[in-house]
Amino acid sequence: MKDILKNTVLLSAFVYFSATAQTMPVEQIIDKANLVSYYAADDGTTEARMMIVDQNGNKQMRQFRIYRKDISDRGAQKMLVVFSRPTDVKGTVFRVEKHVESDDNRWLYLPALDLVKRISAGDKRTSFVGSHFYYEDVSGRNPNDDTYELIATDESYYQIKGTPKDAGSVEFAYYQVKIDNSTFLPMEMIYFDQQGKAMRKMTVKKVAVIDGHPTVMHSRIEQLADGSYTEMQFRNVRYDQGLDDSLFSDRSYRNPPSQ
Amino acid sequence: MRSNRQHTQPNTGQHTKHNSLLTTLVALSISMSHTSALASQALAAELGEMGSYTATPSAFYEAQESPVKQSQHAQNPAQSNTESDKDSNTKSDDWSDQEWGDDNQDQSPWRISGFTELAYGAFIDDHVTDNAQSISELRVRLDAAYSTDALTVNAKIDALADMLLNDNDYDVRELNIGFSPTAQTDVIAGRQVITWGTGDYLFLNDLFAKDWQSFFAGRDDAYLKAPNDALRVLHYAKSFTLDVVYAPEFHADNYIRGERFSFYSPVEQAVVAPSEFNVLDSDSEQYAMRLAATQNGIEYALYGYKGVWTTPMGSSVEPPFAGYSYFPSLNSYGASMRRPAFGGLFNTEVAVYNSLDDSQGDNPFVANDQIRFLLGYEREVIANTTASVQFYLEHTQDYQALKQAHNQTPMLASTPLIDQNRQVLTLRLTSRAMQQALTTTLFVFYSPTDQDAYIKPSISYRVNDNWQLATGANVFVGEQQVTFFGQHKANSNIWLRARYNF
Repeated sequence: MKDILKNTVLLSAFVYFSATAQTMPVEQIIDKANLVSYYAADDGTTEARMMIVDQNGNKQMRQFRIYRKDISDRGAQKMLVVFSRPTDVKGTVFRVEKHVESDDNRWLYLPALDLVKRISAGDKRTSFVGSHFYYEDVSGRNPNDDTYELIATDESYYQIKGTPKDAGSVEFAYYQVKIDNSTFLPMEMIYFDQQGKAMRKMTVKKVAVIDGHPTVMHSRIEQLADGSYTEMQFRNVRYDQGLDDSLFSDRSYRNPPSQ
Repeated sequence: MRSNRQHTQPNTGQHTKHNSLLTTLVALSISMSHTSALASQALAAELGEMGSYTATPSAFYEAQESPVKQSQHAQNPAQSNTESDKDSNTKSDDWSDQEWGDDNQDQSPWRISGFTELAYGAFIDDHVTDNAQSISELRVRLDAAYSTDALTVNAKIDALADMLLNDNDYDVRELNIGFSPTAQTDVIAGRQVITWGTGDYLFLNDLFAKDWQSFFAGRDDAYLKAPNDALRVLHYAKSFTLDVVYAPEFHADNYIRGERFSFYSPVEQAVVAPSEFNVLDSDSEQYAMRLAATQNGIEYALYGYKGVWTTPMGSSVEPPFAGYSYFPSLNSYGASMRRPAFGGLFNTEVAVYNSLDDSQGDNPFVANDQIRFLLGYEREVIANTTASVQFYLEHTQDYQALKQAHNQTPMLASTPLIDQNRQVLTLRLTSRAMQQALTTTLFVFYSPTDQDAYIKPSISYRVNDNWQLATGANVFVGEQQVTFFGQHKANSNIWLRARYNF
């Protein structure tokens, strides 16, 4: 009897938990995931490196520092990426002014020519410096660009299907994302084509909590058709550094921050 | 422009010879490749021992993360193991922390890198120059930077064994010191490369030295800009940037003058490649200014320049230097705007050139005043392929005066006058494939007024982080041998380059 009672309590608790989980609107889950993934703290800096591996196993490397400052949560952001390796991209600076209501502004500074090149907004789903990550993966896809459907919930993850509102603007038909129900970090995203075939898969391989912010430390994007992939790792992640606005200006092209 | 290019003559530039340089370069590049091969072997050995990244967290990560709470999944050992198993099933488990650059561990203020590059090119038409090659050189670049909190010293020095001109030399691309005298001011003093303006291969307000020989020979685009010895002060105030450049010594373009490429000589009324080119050096100072601001994603800029034309746009007629080319005085001012539009980028720029030595426009041996105008648009047309188009107008002022003076000068009788509104259309197609390792570019200049064109296709392949291969062509087309691009028909060439970055 006691056991039955215990089981009932457990069962009720489980049902209750599942119910709350399921009643959290999918938009709220996506909103939390967006905040956790791209808006942690008011600003942040990190060192990053990527290993780009093609279908034949040939490897390339990129190493850079990322600086980010939020103008408002869910809103505009400023971002600066300063490359240090390899030799041919050393000193290259990528600057983004991210907007939610309009297109992002993006510039690339090429030090050999002292040239400030602007990148048009249209090509946000092209490779970020030769990697399998897209520009949009780095700066964050606008949550308003997709519609969402909660397809499953288990003890660890929300599984959500995202479908682009403007199908012509992207190369995929829809994606499925597994969002960690404790940290709200998307831990796996699979992009599917029109035929429902998985094309591209993002996996988070390591998470750390830094200054209270769950932070992706290692992730990977794989092109499933040919097995090529990019791994991205982070270190020296720091939040709330009080980064000055001038860091995100033209000034950082020729005088990039050293820390 | 045409009337001046006609008078381009001999090069009096002197070069220091370093006969043993070629040997040194070869030895240096061999020793560098050797060092690098040893380094990769050592790295490979280390990687083999390191094993899975996740299974063997580095001291670095432990130090970073020990004080903080791990996330639920990271804390769960079963989960961790699953992840590390997933790792070993893939090809990603050979990534050790040793591959991070040394900027964290190594506190040295020095940064050294560089490349070795071999370039070869040959003319594809009946060339006028003595050589059948357009380029044949071995270059070793050493890029050294030294920085402290207070200042940065940059040096980019090329040792060049030029087998075409039989000229071994050191070419200092950059040698400058940067510091910030106030919280909002940066100063760069010394030899440096400076670029501004919105044009793509077309320059209106950018009157810093260009290297047209490099451009024609198929050297890397970075060499299109020649360095300047200058003091550059950049001041930042809110959304404005004020950029002031002072060059105490004039730096001319590395223009086409016969040593590597031929050009049309109105005196000889033929395409020539003289080994000597008579030009009077200028000792003019140069001042350049730019005020830029960005408002709602729209970039605005105002420009000013005081100095001389950077190509010898004048010809002296008075003894003792009659027939010598020279750099006439030039002041200019202008403006530009660049903004996103229709899913792409739109830019426009205007520059007003005051050619002070010919302010009335009636001297046919000196370039007239001009108004230069540019419109451009760029966007991605299909995935990974970007197209851009430009319309460029060069309007010659005081045209009637020029026409009259030209007609009254017997020496110029057989030389057609430049169009009052010389126009150039450009098209650029850039396609990137294989994770951007393979870049294919086509750039075309076409002038409807001159009826000539310059076609510049190229393919570059980034083999890995060290090796890059590139090939391409410079093809000039034109009915007449006097027009801007038409005169270079005999300069049409193909080229290839191999570069090793270290």
